[in-house]
Amino acid sequence: MNTKSNNIEKCDQALQALYEVDDPEIGLNIVDLGLVYEIYFDEVDKKVVCIMTLTTQFCPMGDAITTDTRNALSKTFPDWEITLNLTFEPAWNFSMISPEGLVFLGQG
Amino acid sequence: MSPMISGLQKTTDYRVVLPFYVYAALGFLAGTILLLYSTDMVGAHYFNPQALAITHTMALAWGTMIIFGASHQLLPVLIEGKLDSDLMAYLTFGFAAVGIPLLVYAFFVFDMGWTMQVGGAMINIAVICYLANVLGSSFKSNRRNIHAWFVITSTLWLFATTFFGFLLVLNFRTPILPSNSVDYLSIHAHLGIVGWFLLMVIGVGSRLIPMFLISKYSNNRMLWWIFILINTSLISFSLLFLCDLPDTLLYIPITLGLIAISLFGRYCYKAYRIRIRKSVDEQVRTSLISVGQMLLPFIALITALAFLPQSHFPRMALLYGFCIFFGWITAIILGMTFKTMPFIIWNKVYHNKAHQGKTPAPKELFNNLAYKFMLYLYLTGFVLFVLGIILLHQLILKAGAIALLLAAILYVYNVLITAGHRPKTSQITSIGDKTKSNNT
Repeated sequence: MNTKSNNIEKCDQALQALYEVDDPEIGLNIVDLGLVYEIYFDEVDKKVVCIMTLTTQFCPMGDAITTDTRNALSKTFPDWEITLNLTFEPAWNFSMISPEGLVFLGQG
Repeated sequence: MSPMISGLQKTTDYRVVLPFYVYAALGFLAGTILLLYSTDMVGAHYFNPQALAITHTMALAWGTMIIFGASHQLLPVLIEGKLDSDLMAYLTFGFAAVGIPLLVYAFFVFDMGWTMQVGGAMINIAVICYLANVLGSSFKSNRRNIHAWFVITSTLWLFATTFFGFLLVLNFRTPILPSNSVDYLSIHAHLGIVGWFLLMVIGVGSRLIPMFLISKYSNNRMLWWIFILINTSLISFSLLFLCDLPDTLLYIPITLGLIAISLFGRYCYKAYRIRIRKSVDEQVRTSLISVGQMLLPFIALITALAFLPQSHFPRMALLYGFCIFFGWITAIILGMTFKTMPFIIWNKVYHNKAHQGKTPAPKELFNNLAYKFMLYLYLTGFVLFVLGIILLHQLILKAGAIALLLAAILYVYNVLITAGHRPKTSQITSIGDKTKSNNT
């Protein structure tokens, strides 16, 4: 699943940071897992809005994953205001795992 | 994509859950010590002090306490809502933690007086608190899926089991039931084994096993059939018992139960076959072994009913009970403890430290070598003890009990080092040094 953004260059920077954020149970990063839906940048107000999901709404690791995501984005964009929004529409499903993620899990 | 933004749902506090895990680990240890001490009860009738004490230690202190703990954590995932009351969970723990040793001690010294009655009453209060929490949580959530129905129904059966058990305790001293308490043992036992343990394990397992395997498999229709078959099996068994119908009709509930378990085995197999995550860790493998172990009690039961003379019944009943409590229930707990508890501790220790340094993975919070030894010792002990029951051989029984005790010691060791884990973080590697390296 491709992450939507209004700024390809900054989105790449953000994704590089988010490749470091793993789902602790699966051991796969949240980008390849397909949890990051959209990242928007407001250059004027210096705001980053990340719209992401979890594998389930009541994921016991949800707090850790979102904290990790926020910390990763804050490190990459230190002077920016980070807003993290969780959405469950559409709900995450297996088709959102990237080809690299499938390789990591032993597929292909 | 329309970003309908929702917040993060609160999960159950670790302080609610951890006491149950630690208590259950000590319960398992106590159960294996009692087993080693009481191997000479094999061959006697199952209504004897040691057998009753061991059975209630394994059923309540071990099986029930760990299910209480895990379900307080997993209920929000299953019902897609939050736990109704932490206070109720603490009360559940408090009453059960005091009531269980009182009951077990009373069985062990065969004192049917106030110790047993107070113990039984406290266990019932604990179960009522748990039931109120399960019902409150489930009915406040708008979505009740099949897994939630398994949990709700199994909890109702648990209440039926403990309440009936309490009546049996009172009936020892003051006759309040038409017959002697001993005559009702099999119905009391099956309400608990089938109604509580089997329904709960299938309800939770059918959600967790595909989740841990990262399997696309889901079959709610099959799960509903399993749900109906198990409940029909238990209700028909109860009616046969209460109406005093011929023993040959027992094949009806047995067949229904066997079909349900076979369907659950098929469910797990299908989930395993189409899993996305190819490597299966030891803990999930242990849980899958336990699914196979579900069939052993049926083999013991059918063998006893179809092929053995009445004189062999008490020993087969013991074998049947052993295969359930030390076999299937223990195996699934051994596996699932180290799939759930490390995450609870990891969340407690590291959830605020994420991305502030390298943190260990949850699976690194316990000693995997100790886990492997525990598993081998457990399987060896289980097989030896089963052989010991069949051959009625004291030396084999002692060897099996020692192996099980060693497995319990390693289990307690791993639970305690996991529970006592302290933060370990090191300097984080710079983001630029690492890109997609964890994909390859």
